[in-house]
Amino acid sequence: MKKLLLATAAAAMLALIVPHGAKAQSAVTGGKAVDMVLLPKFLGILPFDQAHQGAEEAAKELANSKKLQYLGPTPENSVAGQIEIVTNAATQGVGAIMISNNSGDQIVPSAKAAKAKGIKVVTWDSPIPSAEGEDVFVAQVDFSETGKIMADMALSILGKDGGKFAILSASPDAANQNAWIDAMKNALKDPKYSKLELQGIVYGNDQSETSYNQALAMVDKFPGMKLIMAPTSVGIVSAAKAMQDEKLCDKIKISGLGVPSEMLAYTKNGCAPQFALWSFVDLGYLSYYTAYALATGAIKAEAGASFKAGRMGNYAITKDPTRKAGLRILMGPFSLYDINNVEAAAK
Amino acid sequence: MNIRARLLRWETLLLAMLVVIAGLNIAYSPFYLGVGNIVNLFQLSIEKIIVALIMTLIIICGEIDLSVASVMGLASCVTAWLFQMGWPMPWALVAALAVGGVAGLINGFWTAYVGLPSLAVTLAGLIGYRGVARILVEDRAIGGYPLWFNNLGQQPQFGPLTISIVIFLAMFAIMAVVLHRSALGRLVYVMGNNLQAARYSGVRVRRVKLLLFVASSMIAALAGLLYAARLGSVRGDMAQGFELDVITMVLLGGVSIFGGSGNLLGVGLSILVILNLRNGMGLADITGNTQTSVIGALLILSVLVPNMARMIHTRWKGRET
Repeated sequence: MKKLLLATAAAAMLALIVPHGAKAQSAVTGGKAVDMVLLPKFLGILPFDQAHQGAEEAAKELANSKKLQYLGPTPENSVAGQIEIVTNAATQGVGAIMISNNSGDQIVPSAKAAKAKGIKVVTWDSPIPSAEGEDVFVAQVDFSETGKIMADMALSILGKDGGKFAILSASPDAANQNAWIDAMKNALKDPKYSKLELQGIVYGNDQSETSYNQALAMVDKFPGMKLIMAPTSVGIVSAAKAMQDEKLCDKIKISGLGVPSEMLAYTKNGCAPQFALWSFVDLGYLSYYTAYALATGAIKAEAGASFKAGRMGNYAITKDPTRKAGLRILMGPFSLYDINNVEAAAK
Repeated sequence: MNIRARLLRWETLLLAMLVVIAGLNIAYSPFYLGVGNIVNLFQLSIEKIIVALIMTLIIICGEIDLSVASVMGLASCVTAWLFQMGWPMPWALVAALAVGGVAGLINGFWTAYVGLPSLAVTLAGLIGYRGVARILVEDRAIGGYPLWFNNLGQQPQFGPLTISIVIFLAMFAIMAVVLHRSALGRLVYVMGNNLQAARYSGVRVRRVKLLLFVASSMIAALAGLLYAARLGSVRGDMAQGFELDVITMVLLGGVSIFGGSGNLLGVGLSILVILNLRNGMGLADITGNTQTSVIGALLILSVLVPNMARMIHTRWKGRET
């Protein structure tokens, strides 16, 4: 009887440790030498630098003797540049490459070629839409949650009477942007948001000047617009600056996804009363752990595999519900920023 | 010093640069000399270097075609759009080449028959053709082409070589014969040196110009299709900004922006210099703005140094007499 009880208890404990449907936790052993490349959409953008910082932190923790290469294209050459970097990484035979994809499915042939050479291809921030040539996508937040949080912010800024608003996005085929916008459109079907009217979507290609000009153009294009929702850290700052420069902040508010340190001034002066983001440092950290675990063979890229990502705890690979194919690891959650907490977060 | 001697010196300089760069690459990266890497080195810029060949003729003729990258984009977008409308892929490709031909006729007509400067005409083309391309595919990415089309751009077809590389090599040979061994080639130089003289001596200036612009746009369209096959997916911003890289290659090759001088050997060497430099930096994990700056610095030096040298040389001579 005692034995049975013990066995049951042991089984129960095991059940607690192993998430349902998942295989046993894989240990990620540090100290192995793996060449790894972190490839942002382009260089010189704060959130990507933060991700780099997080990845370096993970690299140190895992005592990888090979230096992490942080390589990226210039904004003018983003598509060809990313393809070139992925191709050269394949030539060099690195262990893993972590891509924040900038070029939709145009990256597929080069990613496939890299994968064929045994390189682990992890995407983060922005996945490969078709998932071809990709092992796993490290998703920052659940895409449907992004839609809801944007709708919530719009409602809280515009008040219960709602109003008209428009979206300033990055590039037209950025998979993450489109998924978030679709999620927001879906969320808007909820009667709770019936007073919110989406007037249209404009693209600033994640370039400051283009986004700035597009934000100004939106004022004329969408009469009665009270809010610009920009789910991109470049777009939101440019839009806030445009409205501030034109002294339109009383009439038109800015919200979306932004970096606290870049948004501080605009939240304080009321141009952008509320915005959201996840931690890019954590995203870089988790992406590094994922790529390292795959490259060292600690886990396989299949649904159900799970591992412990250092300080961030346990994560499991699942099917990606936001794409037709592909696997993902979901990081989450969101942080909401407003006048009360933006200053602390900006430090 | 006669022109021929100076040209020779320019190519020697490029060759020396190439040797130094290749040497550094060999010393630095064990991967550089791999067959796969050499193929990739060409393949990553193959569309630009194909267009650079015809651009050489255009610039020697004293003209310029700024619309090539937009025509590349337009051709790929036309194909994508027609394919999505249900056209069979081969017809969609033929239609795109035809659209390229029409773009060339437009450029050529305004330049040769109306007499507007090609700088202005093709600048309008740069904006206009890109606009049409963007209207056609809107904000989408169109993919899902037949496998044979994607393979054409992505798989080796002739030994280790892709069809794009074979097209480049063949075109280099054809352009070399046309420019340096044919009557048409001599006309191109004559027109670039002195258009009035060429006209008065009975050269059919207009026809030659029209021919060059049509050839330029059709080759650009072909390059755009090869680019689409290489990426397997088409967007409205395909090849945007490529015209500057193409013109850069031609000028570094020693072709005078004012027309009349330069040759294909120089351009071939300049292509090799730029491609090997890019590849070497890529393998050394130098990317982004650093890479752009290094290539930029090289160009500035290569344009400044010979001109400064010539200036000093002439001043010196002036003092002696």
